[in-house]
Amino acid sequence: MIIIFSILLFFFSCSSESEPINYGTDQCDHCRMTIMDKKFGAEIITKKGKAVKFDALECMINYQLENKINESDVDKYYCVDYSEPAKLKDAKEMTYLVSPKIKSPMGENISAYSGKNTAEKSLNDFGGEIFNWEGIKNRLKNNK
Amino acid sequence: MIRIFKNIFLLFVTALFFNTTVSGKELTVCAECGYKSIKSALKVCEDGDKILVKKGYYRENNIVIDKSISISGEDNPVIDLEFNNQGFVIRKDNVTVSGLEIRNINVSYVKDLSAIKIENSSWCRIENNFLFNTFFAVYLSNSDNCTVKNNKITGFAQTESSSGNGIHLWKCRNILIENNETSGHRDGIYFEFVTNTRIINNNSHNNLRYGLHFMFSDSNSYRKNLFRENGAGVAVMYTKNIVMEDNTFIENWGPASYGILLKDISRSIIRRNRFIKNTIGIFMEGSDKMNIEENEFRDNGYAVKIFGNCSYDTLVRNNFIGNTFDISTNSSRNENFYSGNYWDKYKGYDMDKDNTGDVPYRPVSLYSMLVEKVPESIIMLRSFITEIIDLTEKAIPVFIPESLVDEKPKMIRNEYN
Repeated sequence: MIIIFSILLFFFSCSSESEPINYGTDQCDHCRMTIMDKKFGAEIITKKGKAVKFDALECMINYQLENKINESDVDKYYCVDYSEPAKLKDAKEMTYLVSPKIKSPMGENISAYSGKNTAEKSLNDFGGEIFNWEGIKNRLKNNK
Repeated sequence: MIRIFKNIFLLFVTALFFNTTVSGKELTVCAECGYKSIKSALKVCEDGDKILVKKGYYRENNIVIDKSISISGEDNPVIDLEFNNQGFVIRKDNVTVSGLEIRNINVSYVKDLSAIKIENSSWCRIENNFLFNTFFAVYLSNSDNCTVKNNKITGFAQTESSSGNGIHLWKCRNILIENNETSGHRDGIYFEFVTNTRIINNNSHNNLRYGLHFMFSDSNSYRKNLFRENGAGVAVMYTKNIVMEDNTFIENWGPASYGILLKDISRSIIRRNRFIKNTIGIFMEGSDKMNIEENEFRDNGYAVKIFGNCSYDTLVRNNFIGNTFDISTNSSRNENFYSGNYWDKYKGYDMDKDNTGDVPYRPVSLYSMLVEKVPESIIMLRSFITEIIDLTEKAIPVFIPESLVDEKPKMIRNEYN
């Protein structure tokens, strides 16, 4: 019984599933703002299974750039899809649009899309520039 | 030669000035008048004209003002948007909108629909309006030298995603925001990329998130405002050179709620404010060269929570009365200066009768550091064991930051003029 229980516990504690963001109550771990806007949001799941939550992608990347967490401690990056409110998706697989017409919570005008076609639709509607995960990271790094 | 040019230039400027301020004709809008709607009057009016809207009920929306005119209401006419589009959209300099009641703005997830929006304009005035059931209420985008005064703004935001801001400024300069009352929005007053702006005598209460929210906005001041019962208090972040004086921060209660949240801010002044019954009076992270003086902290959970990455901050002549914790920090280092504060927990003596205590005071208790590390230990609050812990630590400091000390604690409360 104890063995089964501890195995179960082991699996639960190591899950790299995203933890839903409680909009209106959760606080961004980087900028300390209350997370409000369901079109934006991001999350890091650490190797220990802890969820670090952010109000926007730029906060997640800046959190890492300021060495508050090591790349090696991160299990997975998540980001909210602009077209699907409050849904966290695998950030490395997403497409990012920087458009002055879409104002993200921390002023970098980044919106994220899990599908390439929704990103291109947004690009048509709002204009701007499209990036992948590495591209958007470099852009924020160079802006600093 | 240059002088002649200068004179001609001046002449031009004065001519321009008179051209725009010369009072034109007045158009009256009412159910029995020649103009039955504001839009119909707008069509025929010219720069410098005045539109007078008489008492009545007008079902209009998306009223675009692209002429320098003034629209004023007589006996509070109601403009009902019926949840369509926006209210007034101002796209010209020198426009005044006053004395109107604008209601029922639709909630949009994509557009920032607002009661009154000013886009790329200067010298506009929004005065004495009552904005009711709003999403965004007053929205200034890329504008300067405008005034937002004496407006009452009431929203009914329930959830975070269906809420906009009361007074929202984006990329503005030289704006005056005075005597407004905002409630029931996401942020009562919101600033992003705004400079040289004054916020005076406003009352921002019962908003979902912040009463006032500053981001990337340098060189602004706010004075004599009241921030009450907002979800998370007031946030001032990623800015420098802000003056905050004579404000009152009251009853901002909640797990992530602050009188003021200071994040990455520098060279600013917090003077003569009152922090009453907040979970945390001032929360500081990554903030330096702040002058925090002559404030009153009364009945807060934490008066000041100051993180280890704050430096060169001065806390002088403040009054700390009835707070559970006066100063709390997460670091054993201290790079900030404390002097001449009144601490009601100070138990020292004053032999030379100069109203300054003869022994220094250490405002950080070991127990507060313990709570910082192990939040659950709050259950031991006010127990005998914590008293003993704190007493021993006060006698022989080991864990608390050694230099975090007020060398000249006051025996009596500081009086301010």
